[in-house]
Formats: sequence, C-alpha cells, structure tokens
Amino acid sequence: MPKKKFNTPKLANWLAAKCINKMYLEEFLGDLQEIYEDRMLVKGKRYARFMYWIDALHLLIGFSSFSLFKTQSNNTMMIKNMFKIAWRNAIRQKQFTVLNLLGLMIGISISLTIGLFIHHETTYDTFLPEIDRVYRVNQPNIWTDWTAQMSNTGPNVAVALREEVPEFEEVTRIMSLGSQITNYKAEAKKDKSFEESAFYAVENNFFEVFSFEFSEGNPKTAIEGPNSMVMTRTAAERYFGYESAMGKTLEVKQWDGTWQSFVVTGVLVDVPSKSHLQFDVLVSLNSYQAQMDRDGWKWIWTAFTTYAKVNKGTNMAALNDKIQAIPPKYAPATTEQIFNQSFEEFTAGNPWKLTLQPVKEIYLSEDPPYNAFGPVGNPQLVKVFMAIGILVLVLSCINFMNLSTARSSNRAKEVGIRKVLGSERGTLIKQFIFESTLFVAVSTVAALFIVNSSLGWFNAISGKELLLTPYLSQPAFIAVLLVFVLLLGFIAGSYPAFYLSSFKPIQVLKGKMSAGFRGKGIRNGLVVFQFTISMTLIICTFFVQKQLNYTSNLDLGFAKENVLQIGNIEQMGFDTERLKTELATMPAFTKVGKSFGVPPYVDSGDRYKSTEPEAPVVALSNLRVEADYLDVLGLEFLAGRNFDQALTTDQYKVILNEEAVKVLGWGGDDPSSAVGQFVALASGSEDKFEVIGVVKDFNFASVRQEIAPLIFINLDNNKVWDYGAGLSFYSMRLNPQVVASSEDLQTVLDRVEASIKAVDATIPFEYSFLDEDFENTFQEESRMSLVLNIFTIMALLIACLGLFGLAAFSAEQRLKELGIRKVLGARISELVVLFSSEFTKLFLIAMLLASPIAYFLVDQWLSDFANRTPIHIWVFAVSMLGTLAIAIATISYQSLRAAHKNPVDTLRSE
Amino acid sequence: MKNKGLGEFEELVLLAVCILKGEAYGINVKQEVEKHSGRSILLGAVHITLYRLQDKGLLKSEMGGNTEKRGDRRKRLFEVTPSGMRQLEAAQDVRQKMWQLIPQLNAGH
Repeated sequence: MPKKKFNTPKLANWLAAKCINKMYLEEFLGDLQEIYEDRMLVKGKRYARFMYWIDALHLLIGFSSFSLFKTQSNNTMMIKNMFKIAWRNAIRQKQFTVLNLLGLMIGISISLTIGLFIHHETTYDTFLPEIDRVYRVNQPNIWTDWTAQMSNTGPNVAVALREEVPEFEEVTRIMSLGSQITNYKAEAKKDKSFEESAFYAVENNFFEVFSFEFSEGNPKTAIEGPNSMVMTRTAAERYFGYESAMGKTLEVKQWDGTWQSFVVTGVLVDVPSKSHLQFDVLVSLNSYQAQMDRDGWKWIWTAFTTYAKVNKGTNMAALNDKIQAIPPKYAPATTEQIFNQSFEEFTAGNPWKLTLQPVKEIYLSEDPPYNAFGPVGNPQLVKVFMAIGILVLVLSCINFMNLSTARSSNRAKEVGIRKVLGSERGTLIKQFIFESTLFVAVSTVAALFIVNSSLGWFNAISGKELLLTPYLSQPAFIAVLLVFVLLLGFIAGSYPAFYLSSFKPIQVLKGKMSAGFRGKGIRNGLVVFQFTISMTLIICTFFVQKQLNYTSNLDLGFAKENVLQIGNIEQMGFDTERLKTELATMPAFTKVGKSFGVPPYVDSGDRYKSTEPEAPVVALSNLRVEADYLDVLGLEFLAGRNFDQALTTDQYKVILNEEAVKVLGWGGDDPSSAVGQFVALASGSEDKFEVIGVVKDFNFASVRQEIAPLIFINLDNNKVWDYGAGLSFYSMRLNPQVVASSEDLQTVLDRVEASIKAVDATIPFEYSFLDEDFENTFQEESRMSLVLNIFTIMALLIACLGLFGLAAFSAEQRLKELGIRKVLGARISELVVLFSSEFTKLFLIAMLLASPIAYFLVDQWLSDFANRTPIHIWVFAVSMLGTLAIAIATISYQSLRAAHKNPVDTLRSE
Repeated sequence: MKNKGLGEFEELVLLAVCILKGEAYGINVKQEVEKHSGRSILLGAVHITLYRLQDKGLLKSEMGGNTEKRGDRRKRLFEVTPSGMRQLEAAQDVRQKMWQLIPQLNAGH
C-alpha cells in the first residue's frame, strides 16, 4: 500500500464516483490526485483543496451530462426534459427562485445544525464498546428528603451486589477524592506541582467495564497493584512533557500533609468529550486499603459511584426487583452502628431503592440531577431545539408551497397546453415534485457548505464541539440526507403539485386568470400559521432573556459584589491565623473571614432535629464559618447575634437562616423564638447546640432553587465532623476606594499570592469573585439563550422571505385594480394602506393565536424556576408590535412600488 | 462534423498530444498547453476537449501507465490518429496561405 500522505477531499471523490461514468472515473481520480499533490507542494493545502473541488465539479458537470443526456433511452430523455423545464422556470422567475432557495437554505442549515447538536447530545458514551450492558447504581438521596435520586453510594453497595447477584459480570466502584496536589520531583529540575481536580480511585476491573483506549500500558494489569496510577496523555504531559510517563513516580499530598507515592503504569488517550466520565488521573483503590478496611462496610460514606455490567441476555426487570432485597439486608449495620436507629427508623418509611440507570442515558437524564464525573446535558433544551428545528423546516416548506401556488397563474398555461397535448395528471405531478426535490437538493448542498463554514462560530457560542466533516464520509449520514431531500421535496412539492395539476385546460386556456386567486384561503391560512409560529418563538425567547436578566440581577440577600475568595486554604492545616492577620492588614480589604465552602457551592448537609420531644428530623445544609465571614457577606440578623470570637463558649453555638427555623418547627413568623433553643444531630449523639442568631434568608446556592434551610457551625466546633468537601477559603471584602482599577486589583492579587507562597510554596494560588461564581451558574443558559435568539431571528427571516414573495405576487395581481383606483383619484398613501391591510388582517389573526400559545409555554417553562420573572403583558405587546413592524416593512417595498406605478403603463394593454 | 474544422483550443490540445508522442494524458496535456500558451486552464476543459476530439476520430486512446503518485490508478494515454494529423496539417495550410496574403508582410520581399 502506498502511504496515504495526501488525503483528497472525500466528499468530492464520493460525488464524482456517483455521478461520473465508471469508464472515466479511474483516470479522472488519478489525474485529480496527481495534480492535487503537485499543488499541495507548491501552493499549500488550502489552495490544493479548493482547486480540487473546482476541478472535480467541472469534470462532474462536463461528464455527467455526457453520460446522462447523450444516451437515447426514454427514461433519461424524460429526466432531461424535466430538468429543462425546471431550469427554464427557475430562470424565468428569478425573484421567486432566489426567495425559494434562500428560504430553504436557511431552514435546512438551521435544522442541520440542530440535528448535529441533537445527535451530539444523545450519543454520549456510545463510543465505549459493550456500554449497552453497563449500568450506574443510583439510590434515593438519603441526605435530603429521599425524593430525588443521587448517583453516589456507599462502598458496601458494590460488595453486596457482588455477593448477592450473579447476573452481574462485573461490579466496579469509583471513589471521589476531591482535588489532589500532585508533585513530580524531576532530577536536577524544578518540581512540577499541579492540583488535579479530576482525580479518582478505581478498582482493578475498571477497564473491564469502561474500555478506554490505552496509549501505553496494559489495560488488564495497569491498575492492579497498590499505588499504581493511570493518567491521560494531556495530564502526563503536564509533568513529563514529551518524555514517556511510564514507570515514573508522582507524589500525592494526603490530608495530613504527608506525601504518598504512585507509579505511572498506564497512559490513556485523552478521554473523549462525549463521555459522562471525565477524568485526568486514576489511581488504584487498594492504595487506600487501610481506609477501605476500616470504613468499607458503610452505606452512608457516599463518596463512591457504583457501576455494574450485566451478563448478556439478562432480564432487567427481574434483576431490578431482585436487587431491592439488598439494602434491607446490608444497610442496617450502618444505621444501627452510626445512627443508633433501625433501618425503618432511618428511612422513615421511604423505600431505599437501588436503581440501575443505563450509562448511555446518564448524560441526558434529569434524575439524578448531578453527575460526579462530568457535565450533564439538558434534556429540555434538546426537546426545545428539536421542536425549533422541525418548526423552521415547516416554515420553509410553507414558504415553498405559498410561493409555488401563488405564481401558479404563470404556469397555468403550461399545464393547460401539456394536458391538451395528452399529458396525464400523474406526469404533471411528477414534474412538480421533481422540481421541488431539485430545489431542496440544491439548497441542501448549499446548506452543507453553509453549516460547514459556520459551525466554528456556532461552537464558539454554544460551547460545544460539533463537526460536520466526519459525518460526510459515513454512508448512513448520506443515506439520511438523501431520504431527507426526497421527503422534504415531496412534502414541499405535494400541495403545489396536486393543486397545479388540477387545472382544467379549457378554463385556463380561455384566459381565466382567476387561477392565481384560487387556493388563496389555504395560502392565507399558511401565512397565519407561519406568523403564529414566529411570534410565539419571539415571545418565548423574549421571556427566556427576561428570566436570565432577572436571575442575574436578583437580590441574593447579601452584597455579592467586591468579594474576593482564595481557595486551597485547607492545605495549610487548621492554624491559619498568621495568614489571616497578614491579609487583614492589607488596606485593600475591609474584612477577612474563613469558611469551609463558599456560595453558590454550599452542597454539604446533615440531618438535624430540635431537642424538643417528638421533633421532626430535617435535612439542613451546613456551612462551617467564623464570625468575620458572616460580616464579609454582610448578612442581616433578624434576631440574636453573630458568633463572638472573644467568647470561647461560642464554640458550640449555631446560627440558622429563616427557612431552617421554619423547618425545625419553631414558628417561622417570629425568628427570635428560635434564639436560645437547641438543635442536635439526628444521629442520636448527646451533643446539643444552642441557637444564638437567625439571619435573613439569602441565596447560597443556584438561584434556580428555593432557598434551603441552612445552619452555620462555628469553625472551632469539634463535635460536628462535617467539613463540607474539606475545602476551606478566605473571603475578603474589597475596599472600592483602594482598589479602583484593574492594575490595583492585580497588585492586590500579587500580594495575596506572595503571602500564600510564603506559607507553603507548593500550594496553588486560586482565586475567584463571588459575583462571577454566581454568574457562572447560569452560563450555560446564557449561551443557549443566545443560540435560541439567533434561531428565532432566522425563523422570522424565513417567514419574511415568504411574505415578501407573496406581497410581490399580490402586487402583480392587483396592478390593474390599483391603477384604476389611482385614475379615479386615490392617493398613494391610501393605496399603500389598502394593499397592506390585506396582510395586516392575517397578522392580527396570528397575534390572537400566538399569545395564548406563548403564554402557556412560558408559564410552563417558568414554573421550573424558584425565582421567576413576572409574565408582563407589555412583553407580548412589544414582541408582537415588533413583528408587525417588521412584516409591514417587508411588504411596504412591494406596496409602495405598486402604488407608485404609473396607471398608464398598467392599464394600457387589455 | 468532419468539415467543421478545429477550434482554437482543440488545435492547441491536439498539438500538445502530438508533442507528447504517445505519453499524453490529462495533466501533461494541460501543462503543455499552459506552458506554450501562457494561460492557465482547467483540467476539466482539457478532458472534455480530449474526449470531443476522440469522438471526432482525431484521437485514439488506451488505458495504461499507473504510478504510485496517482493512488495506483491508470491513466488514459491519447494518440493522434492519421485523420487528426491531416486536420492539423489542413489547419496549418490554411493559416500559411492566409499569412502569405497579408500585404504589409510581403511588401519587403
């Protein structure tokens, strides 16, 4: 085999192979490739590819006509004739042709892009072999009210499944370790230290379940022994550059400050972006054997995710029933020993159900809402986009139908003559369908080019990585495209075909030009339909935008601006007073406070109850803070007081938010009633904590959710062992007078970094701003709303193209009428109004239809949000008047032209 | 068709085929014509012309001579037929005669 150094454009080759006679193909492709290589060497790839296309298309045109039309068989003659007729009609009516093609091109481009997007979103994880048989084991969220699912399980779940269920070929679990500081001591070089956030411990059968591609190392043995490590190519290059990573030693900092060594035993090809499981570094779980021996029996240590691969041909329904017997058998050990509660007491009647979720469905599922290892998709968005894709296609089909039937008077004579000459109706229908298919085919080819060149731009906006070219070489895609062209051609062409071919020859040849006005009712109906869709879309996008603005400007209940946060403080151990003093003396900061977690990422919680008898057990989010941190946030106290650093007795005191007071059952109307009460952990421990203050509710998580009950625990409370994710932060309120410019800010950041490096140089400096963190929680929504805006504008554009065409037609039809009116003394302005009113009526009907539909959709969508923007009438008014203005502007060109025509010209010939 | 004579581009292509003596195929004909005429032409135009000339019976062709550079594909080698040669000569004759009739040029002799 000659080495394939020069890859000629595949699509061009494919096209050539389809259209050019076999007899010529070999020499042409040979010539093309030869000249391609010459050009590539002399003028570069871009030029060579471009010229390849030009040459290929030239040959295609030159020689396909050769083979198609030179033969004299009846069929090809027929096709040739159909081509000719279609071409002549297209040329004669340039304006209609251009409008039709433009409309179809835009419509097909949008639906093609949406199609790619949907295909991308719905085919996550399918690149892994045998993934059909792999399931994730979910359980109810035992930390909240048991209604939502969570994908985390205790370590013992996998053990139990292995023991009890032979239907599983493999059961494997992944332990989340959080961010790990990883260091490489290169000889004679500077240490390389990074914080690895996608760092997990996996079992030795991990690669039996997920066969990720290895670039070096053996999948069977790589993760077998303790202290072995497998990393992706990119992660390996961070430490070793272009040297081989195999056999090298990396050190990972443990929670107690010691370093544990790992040997690299495998390097993976980077994990594809379409994997729900994203990671950089994997280590063997038996590296943490001591901890596993000690805690491996627990059901509440939910740092694990369990995956199971079932045997071929397993009855899933039966298996699902079977595994439900496991929690009642294995979990009681945990509830009894840790919570001093029976299984039934702990679950409080909720079923502790294990659910098997196919891995392929993880990315697009809403329940469980989080995926510990990577992004989750938005199924709602996929549905919305699919609807828009189909609607846009429908809009462009309607355009085609309207324009084709509107200009029917132009073709009525043709139909008449053909019928007189003996043409059957079937032949005429074939001709019209052939024409529409031709239009669709041309637009599709153009759309392929448009999409190919605009995808980069779409990706930049949407944050996706869509590509068109890989699909082009897939026969399945080409087949789908062909079916699409034929189907769309048929749909768009069917109504005009049946309508046009139904003309009676005698009538049309007698000169009854009423033909053009027939079918007007249907046409008007279609216009109404088009504008109903466009207006609905516009109103909906308006509200999406409004909701986004609303949430980003929402009063969170604290001053989110000017708060700088630095992370990785937990790396310094517990005593960080020295750093705090240093930060507090900087003039740039007015207040400095430490916390274990920062909004909007307060996702740790526990089960509490008030110490009164018969008090309900409730789940509270908890945040471990010092007094100064609450001052940094500027929270408003409704009752009681903040922690006082001077009082050592405050160590075991707690502060609640309003919502927590409510759920704990202390009559939420009067927050002061809670002060002086006691709360305790629901695990049955003896310790109880006095409430010393109640703060006003504030948003400490995403604004999408209702404000949850929250408890502040004193930083020094050593009777509650919840440290969140174990990460701690210093937050500083900036003094805007001192930090007035970005240079000032940079100086401040540099100083903070220097102070941290002075404590420990291996600690990475990470900072963020509180308001930006909140903004990032709806970054995805902002992106998608931008895409939605663009699609909506395109839909409106398509509708307007059709309208423009219809108006042109109508103007042509009514030229004489307008001429006579003018002669009789009508003013131009009157004519314009008269002409526009015909269409304005249609818009008014569309408005009446669009508003209830839009209201229903918007209401539905907003109901998912905890904080929703009100549905104002003015939004409807503005968007509909806007559409009306655009539509009238579209037809005004035609109406003005028609009204300005000299009646002499229009009335002269009759 | 035979009496129609040669078009200008056809003549150039035919001449190029003669120059290349049995080695002529799409690309080197294109290069040859480009070299002598100094204009750039499309590969497709050459192919179309070559086939038209073959249809007129002025060229004949056979497949042969694959090279690695062409992805192991053969090329079609064209050769002038006797009638092609006659056409060329006829065209040449016509020009010669007409040149000789230009008065300014003959004035010096």
